[in-house]
Amino acid sequence: MTNTNPTASALALRRVHKSFGSVRALHDVTLQVRAGTVHALLGENGAGKTTLMRIAFGLIAQDQGDVLVHGDTMRNHSALNAIANGVGMVHQHFSLVPAMTVAENIALGEYGRFDAKRVSARIRDIGERTGLVIDPQARVSDLSVSAQQRCEIVKALARDARVLILDEPTAVLAPDEASALLQWLRGFVAENSNHAVVLITHKLRDALDFADDITVLRRGESVSTGAADTFTESTLADAMLGPGDRAHAVESEVVPTITRHTDSVGAHHVVLQADALTVHDTRGVQRVKKASFTVRAGEIVGLAAVEGSGQAELLRAVSGLLPPSSGRLHAPADVGFVPEDRHRDALLLDASLTENFALRDAGTRRGRVPWTALAARAADVLRQRDVRAQSVQVMARTLSGGNQQKFILARALDEAPAALVVENPTRGLDFRAAAAVHDALRDARDAGIAILFFSSDLDEVLTLGDRVLVMHDGVLREVPREREVVGRAMLAAS
Amino acid sequence: MNMLLDGFIAPLDDFLAASVRTATPLALAALGECVTERSGVINIGLEGSIICGALAATIAAGSVGVSVGFAAGLTAGLLVTVLFALFTVYLRADQIITGTAITLLSLGLTGLLYKSVYGSTGVGLTTPTTSAVEVPLLSSIPLVGRALFAQPLVTYALYLLVPAMAWWFFRTHGGLALRAVGESPDAAMAAGVQPRRVQALAVLFGGAMAGLAGATLVLAQSGTFVENMSAGKGFIAIAIVVLGRWTPFGVAGAALLFGAASALQYLFQSLGWNAVPYQLFLVLPYVLTLIVLARASGRTAAPAALARRELTLG
Repeated sequence: MTNTNPTASALALRRVHKSFGSVRALHDVTLQVRAGTVHALLGENGAGKTTLMRIAFGLIAQDQGDVLVHGDTMRNHSALNAIANGVGMVHQHFSLVPAMTVAENIALGEYGRFDAKRVSARIRDIGERTGLVIDPQARVSDLSVSAQQRCEIVKALARDARVLILDEPTAVLAPDEASALLQWLRGFVAENSNHAVVLITHKLRDALDFADDITVLRRGESVSTGAADTFTESTLADAMLGPGDRAHAVESEVVPTITRHTDSVGAHHVVLQADALTVHDTRGVQRVKKASFTVRAGEIVGLAAVEGSGQAELLRAVSGLLPPSSGRLHAPADVGFVPEDRHRDALLLDASLTENFALRDAGTRRGRVPWTALAARAADVLRQRDVRAQSVQVMARTLSGGNQQKFILARALDEAPAALVVENPTRGLDFRAAAAVHDALRDARDAGIAILFFSSDLDEVLTLGDRVLVMHDGVLREVPREREVVGRAMLAAS
Repeated sequence: MNMLLDGFIAPLDDFLAASVRTATPLALAALGECVTERSGVINIGLEGSIICGALAATIAAGSVGVSVGFAAGLTAGLLVTVLFALFTVYLRADQIITGTAITLLSLGLTGLLYKSVYGSTGVGLTTPTTSAVEVPLLSSIPLVGRALFAQPLVTYALYLLVPAMAWWFFRTHGGLALRAVGESPDAAMAAGVQPRRVQALAVLFGGAMAGLAGATLVLAQSGTFVENMSAGKGFIAIAIVVLGRWTPFGVAGAALLFGAASALQYLFQSLGWNAVPYQLFLVLPYVLTLIVLARASGRTAAPAALARRELTLG
């Protein structure tokens, strides 16, 4: 249907520079996304991937350089302009209005009369054509994470997007959902020689398996670019991390087969025990159905589940945040809890680290706050746990994601709780930061703390867990620590 | 028996008519504020727009004519919120502080202007007013006919505005953009909407409506300007928006409820129940708000980004 030369650029950024104040975010970056291909954009957190794509989508303006869409240079670039030129972006933190329906979200930004029926028909039509099925009348806040992502993609397609930019799309998905999405993206570019996909990721495997071309950014510069088959996991890691840091990173990607602590399991006493525990969520829906499990001192139990299987409610019940409706729960009074949404649930972003540190006991302490002692204690903790911050006075917002998470963990582990419950501990972290978080959890385990953690990344559950529990639709069971078995149990496909 | 009934009917008629009359300026201001708040901005300076609208309407109606008075009121209300929009939408100043400052400034400024135009003695000022227009047939419906259909034209404009606004909110892309900006400016921006422009327009619309409300106070009701005559109506309008759950029909209903609560004093006075001091009835609308809000607090419908200062992007 088009006569576009298949090797032409669907999207090109030429010699782009961008600084935020004195911080150089991008320096002379050039990116060519060929029509009909998936182009992976790799880099550690803070390498400039998202900034570059926000410039491509017109959300922020570059200081220098050009953005070209299908060969046309964009002037006065804005999101509206990008959309009109067939560029769609799926943001890492979805840009959907939670209080509105899917149809309303998809119609947002257009003009004239809003006809919900027509928009719904359009959404159903796209669903039939592409397999991205979604209920147009559903409220976005009621949708699962993967359905919200589907909604974002349908939103872009409803505006005839030919170039799709996806920012870390698989970070929030279960493994099967992630591979289904990546397959879908391959189908999307194969369907029309005008289509192209930019996949921002820090998962090397995804880039190597699904992309045609790969560009690696490091500290705001494009350090390597070429066809995917000219790279290996090892050369990509080298390019992303720069010289000297590789060993650490690759280690964290490998699933160890040795079970640690097999000798000590059983020797240690049971810290957490649930018998036929049933939990309802705040809306009264039964989310956990008669779950029974134990966690002993000095072991890490990994919980694998597809998002929305009831794992969030189980973890909160164990942490004492959500009262179970029936069953027995044996847990120590002090259970540390690290929630998955650290910005929303774990930190006051605009408060100092000392104040955030003080929050830990804010609900139980009375009277004057011993600020001086707390600041000293917080400073100690920063040093011990290798949290990189200028001082305890800086706002939590100024820390990198990895350091925020290390701080939250350190806070939860201070005063050595008997048990620790952790939810998606490395979501959104690059692998160096993730490895540091893993080390911190293993250290805590070795110090005799009983740890229950959930991760939506199956490999993380297998890497970190001494034993593995799987939850599907509220039903919990223990399974052998094997990738195939766990994966099938998560989908109840055994 | 009949005599007793007759004794009630006339005061009841008056009461209903007074309810609608009192509700009109409240509904105008509240509908405007409803649009403003849907965009994520709370305009506490509404009171300032009302009082400025009232004074401008007085001056213009006295020197030109009543319809010019309404236009002048609307314009004055709009101009006041240009200031508010500049500070809150573009300079991202705190909305509560800016709004309060604008209210205080307007109350002071109108008092000063009034004195300098009409003298400090306060000349017995009478402004031409609009008269009620009776709609044939409809106004002869028993009981509610006169209350609803023997009102000034501005009230009829309101009858058209409420459904039009509801349609616009939920059936047009403009309304969708407005609601999205109030819920999640970042999401709106990513979809190609310009949040600041939407907010600025919403604020200006609210100001114009408040100015019109001020003009209505003078030109359709009191027939004269008195210092501080807005008497907290801007704040009541904000409460009405909450009570009306941020929907046009809800807001219109809530305004009518407030109008009725304020008009109760007339009913009781005309029935001769003077034992109860009228000040008690002045409190009634506020007590009503507290009760209704407490009961309706189960589910909040407030725009999620209301009064938030920063847009994360841009």
